[in-house]
Amino acid sequence: MAHHEKLVKDLEKKANQIRRDCFEIFGSTQMGHAGGTMSIIELITALYFHHMKFDPKNVDWPERDRLVLSKAHCCEAIYAALVELGVYPRKTLGTYYCFGSPFQGHADRWCTPGIDYSGGSLGQGLSFAIGMALAEKMKSVVKDVNIGQGGFLQRYVVRFDPLYRSYCILGDGECHEGMIWEAAMFAAKYKLDNLIAIIDYNKFSLDGPTNEIMNVEPLVEKWKSFGWWVTEVDGHDIRQILDALELASKLYGDYRPKCIIAHTIKGHGIPAWEREHIHLGRGAVIMKGIEEGRKKYADV
Amino acid sequence: MPTFNKYVQIEDKPSMVPAGLEKAITAAAAKDTRIIAVLEDMGFPGMLWFKKNCPERMIECGIAEQNAAVMAAGLAAEGFIPIINSFLFADVGRAYNQIRQSILVDRFNVKFIGREGAWGEPGISHNTIEGIGSTRPLPNLVILNPADAVEAEKAAEAMLQYVGPVLLRQESSPPPIKIFSDDLPFDIGKAFSLKEGRDATIIATGYMLTEAVRALDILEKDGLNVGLLDMCTIKPLDDKAIIKAAEKTGAIVTAENGTVIGGLGDGVAAVLAENLPTPIVKIGIEDEFSQSGKMSPKDELKEHFGLRPEDIAVSVKECISKKEKLRKKRK
Repeated sequence: MAHHEKLVKDLEKKANQIRRDCFEIFGSTQMGHAGGTMSIIELITALYFHHMKFDPKNVDWPERDRLVLSKAHCCEAIYAALVELGVYPRKTLGTYYCFGSPFQGHADRWCTPGIDYSGGSLGQGLSFAIGMALAEKMKSVVKDVNIGQGGFLQRYVVRFDPLYRSYCILGDGECHEGMIWEAAMFAAKYKLDNLIAIIDYNKFSLDGPTNEIMNVEPLVEKWKSFGWWVTEVDGHDIRQILDALELASKLYGDYRPKCIIAHTIKGHGIPAWEREHIHLGRGAVIMKGIEEGRKKYADV
Repeated sequence: MPTFNKYVQIEDKPSMVPAGLEKAITAAAAKDTRIIAVLEDMGFPGMLWFKKNCPERMIECGIAEQNAAVMAAGLAAEGFIPIINSFLFADVGRAYNQIRQSILVDRFNVKFIGREGAWGEPGISHNTIEGIGSTRPLPNLVILNPADAVEAEKAAEAMLQYVGPVLLRQESSPPPIKIFSDDLPFDIGKAFSLKEGRDATIIATGYMLTEAVRALDILEKDGLNVGLLDMCTIKPLDDKAIIKAAEKTGAIVTAENGTVIGGLGDGVAAVLAENLPTPIVKIGIEDEFSQSGKMSPKDELKEHFGLRPEDIAVSVKECISKKEKLRKKRK
């Protein structure tokens, strides 16, 4: 699955453009969830600009791939991607947090066509993505699949490719939520091989290091033991992300939900934000990071 | 026997709400393949009966209400109509924030049936009373609370036709009696007047309609002409019908199988306070939890909470005397 040099280079450039757009968003309010947004920039870029089926001219296309940003406070990255895709005009970047703006403080499907899930209360997105994945299975039912005792949905479609896939980006701190594990059991039971969860494992949440607050390790073994296919990638390496997404998609038909654990850095690329493991930044620290970022990413 | 509206056909035999729901949902699901049952391991009081006709549209989530609610939202986002049926404290109470965030914000077409009420053997955990009070403040949610099997059937039909989130409260109570005729007209948001009155109006919902009908007999014998309004839709409340009843009778008594704080009574009181201040007495559970209680030979909980017909009659008389005192003062 060697990806062409050019594609990887192009996507890296795009990721940097998305970063610059995010600086504009944060700058307009001197506020934003800078740390978690910077850690998913490469993931969002790989999904929106190469891997996912998404038509900027028809954001409600029934066969589009669904993307549920369960850590919806990091919606700035998606807003930037939607602007780069031409779904919203560039000037919308400056309306973040404003009354009536499509760019709300947390991702909102109702206000922002192009967004699949209204989040903000953590831990719920995976279940929503599961509902959408299950709906894909139920929309075209032709073949019987025995899902074992207690499972009543027995007639599944068998295709070479699903009508659409359901993607979900989770935070690592979010895995503290109990309902994540309700969802993990459910997805395995209903054999949702059209579901790909991506964990942004940036190791920090609001009060400090994620695993000191509440240890989520061993994360790989946890998901595996729940019956998921699991792989790990460097979440800032476009090539690794593309390979993992492609493999997870090709494994469709193995009746296993997929989990990609992306090792990332909170505030990636911006020293002022990396140092502080910034979550929701305001004022001076945000502006300092923007200044550093604008210099660093000026020509790349 | 008081004279009722033509759609009222009282028969003193049990008329169970679950039977009406099952009838309506089974019929609708046979025609509409978008209807899906989302189960939470509740057995036949839940929706296990859905398996008989549509096994392929039955999703069993186990005892995991939070996932069930949000997963149902995902199904609804793709055009399905999921129905979740459990104890209200579980499917709604346990998943309260999930419903708020993932269903109501985007008005997803998910239907909840929640069982609750003051009565029952299970006790304090299951005999919950706060369902109406806790859900009324939530935007985008329609709340229905049918009184007998016929109204339950009509309410379930309306719930499935309505596009958007609905909570249908199925009360745990002694068996209600058959009150309505089979051709009862039903509209979400419209109160149904069983009987017009002169001295006072009882506004009742759910099982308490049965007790109110019984109370009318007592009141009539005492020479009082009391109206009865059935408030099946708790939200949106039928303000017009409430104001009209207050204009006509000048005394309002509300009756509900749930806490009086934030419930139907508070809703009615707010409408009247803002539009036409009127003496009101609220019947329901005062600020306390319910507990286990036998329904026969003597209904212990009914007596404890003061929900018997004679209790309603006393409240109506109290309200009428409040009205008269107020009139004298105004003169």
